[in-house]
Amino acid sequence: MITAGIDMGSRTVKVVFLEELKVDGAPQLKWGVKGKHIMFPEDLDADQAAEKAFNEALQASGIAREQVRRVVATGAGRKQVKFAHEDVTEVSAGAKGTVFMCPSARTVIDVGAEEGRGIKTDADGKVVDFAGNEKCAAGAGAFAESMSRALQLSLKEFGEASLRSDKTIPMNAQCTVFAESEVVSLIHSSTPKEDIAKAVLDAVASRVTAMARRVGIEGEVALIGGMVHNVGFVQSLKTALGVDNMLLPDMPEYVSALGAALIATEGKA
Amino acid sequence: MTAQIPYDHEVELNSVLERCLAAARETGIPARGELPEDYVGALGHFPVYFPEEIAHAGRLLPVNILGGGNRLEMKHADARMGSFVCSICRSTTELGLNGSLEGLAGFVTHPICDAAKHLAGIWARNLPEQLSQILYLPQNPNTPGAARYIAAEYQRLRAEIERKAGRPIDDEALRASIRIYNRNRRLLRELYAIRRDEPWKVSCTESYLLTRARTRMPCEEHNALLARALDAIRSRKLPAQDKPRVVFVGGFCEQPPLEMLEAIDDACYVVDDDLLVGLRWLTADVPETGDPIWALAESYVERSDASPVQHDEHKTKEGYLMDMIRRSRADGAILTAAKFCEPGLDEQLAWSKHLDGERFPYLVLEFEEKMTSFEQMAMQVETFAESLLFALA
Repeated sequence: MITAGIDMGSRTVKVVFLEELKVDGAPQLKWGVKGKHIMFPEDLDADQAAEKAFNEALQASGIAREQVRRVVATGAGRKQVKFAHEDVTEVSAGAKGTVFMCPSARTVIDVGAEEGRGIKTDADGKVVDFAGNEKCAAGAGAFAESMSRALQLSLKEFGEASLRSDKTIPMNAQCTVFAESEVVSLIHSSTPKEDIAKAVLDAVASRVTAMARRVGIEGEVALIGGMVHNVGFVQSLKTALGVDNMLLPDMPEYVSALGAALIATEGKA
Repeated sequence: MTAQIPYDHEVELNSVLERCLAAARETGIPARGELPEDYVGALGHFPVYFPEEIAHAGRLLPVNILGGGNRLEMKHADARMGSFVCSICRSTTELGLNGSLEGLAGFVTHPICDAAKHLAGIWARNLPEQLSQILYLPQNPNTPGAARYIAAEYQRLRAEIERKAGRPIDDEALRASIRIYNRNRRLLRELYAIRRDEPWKVSCTESYLLTRARTRMPCEEHNALLARALDAIRSRKLPAQDKPRVVFVGGFCEQPPLEMLEAIDDACYVVDDDLLVGLRWLTADVPETGDPIWALAESYVERSDASPVQHDEHKTKEGYLMDMIRRSRADGAILTAAKFCEPGLDEQLAWSKHLDGERFPYLVLEFEEKMTSFEQMAMQVETFAESLLFALA
């Protein structure tokens, strides 16, 4: 049996197919990732983007549409996925997917383009508590992205540059717009780019850490979402949380889609 | 011969709800010409509880002033009040200063918090033609003299209203008003019983609008409206959905935006709440014989609900929430507080700590009148509902 999870994020659409694995003598069903696909939609309505991404994913994974028994949508645009059987929030999907990938994780930090959140989960991947940024993207990836543009660095260079800095420059603004003004002031005062990059990523890490502390940091911490690819952010977050190790799943931006596909296997959404 | 139009409960309910929605959006007061013939004016009162029967018997329409909602432009109040004051106090002041409440015979507030208490002072200075009063209800009703004290306060209020209305309020008129309000209390209890027993038949938003309508119309009219609505609700044939049962607390004074209640309704069945609890404050019939002022005062002490603005040792903060949860067989609780509401935030903390100890699931939310974006809140509520459903599965 194959199920699908589709994560309609604010920047990308992610699709994951799960396939039931036949393991003789296993006490319960096992599932493995059959295929995954990411699409960067341009000029498409959310429902069209979902349809296009799903079809592309089917094609890329060599699966016929009728083979997919159940589809669960998640992400900010989850309600727009007309062909989904059910939808779940990205918090529920993120927790489920993370515990599947990293069974020891009990605290999940999810930092995507527009949203950052801290989630406390149990051993089954059920959400115990969570907190997220409510009105401003200052605790999320879009902020880091716009600051990297201001410094004329690619996102990859931005993260790597921050690792070369050992300075701590506090950014006091709680809002992306005001924080950008602070960055412009730093540029005008000839502050090295790597110091500014570190200041920005430290600020994002600090806000995300505050959310995680609101729910209480317990057990091992896993980071999911696109910001996992930013090496500078990962380091800033470790420092802010005061941890040496952080679980980083192999396909961080797909974790929520994976979680949705897992929930589809349970048929409880 | 005219053809008989078959009764359609949805059409009937929709027509009642449309009327209630219009009343909820109305921030001004009914014009003199809109009042029933025997009414001499309207008396404004601030949440939480106000003995409406006294104003009603004096033929003043009791109008519960519940702030200005998210459509009111603040032009005057911001110049007089700090930004750290809750929305309902600021927007109520704005309504007073911008002329929306012109024509009120008076405005009665209560010492439920410093900001609410001092509204009376603002009123007296800026709207001297209106009666401005603080009704001192006891924060601790457990002392032996509490009922006597309340009765004395009610007598004082009765005399003030008599002076303003220019007519005496006799005991018989008061007893008649008590009878009308007793019927209203029974109808509201029926509405809440349906919410508990068959929550799929009436949403929290619908129930809230039905209750709130009393703040803008004579109680007799509200009784007729509620009776029509209850008949229609009972006839509804809606299937039960897979939603968790939750209680909602924190709506005792400032009112959450309707969109917030709708977002909660989308994901959960709200099987009990403290929304507009002041209108449902007396939990049983008030005696309809004997001294009516004493009957009201004694009911306040002996037959009343609970809220964060009262410190009654028989209704502990944790106790009344747990009673509400047990009574309504809730799976979870939504603990809200209005931004800058001191009593509400204080209670929210006590509730959270207690529910942690009980290992009972809850979600904390904050609201204010000027909220315009509800996406994040809807996502939080939905996640909470999912976590409850997964736990129940």
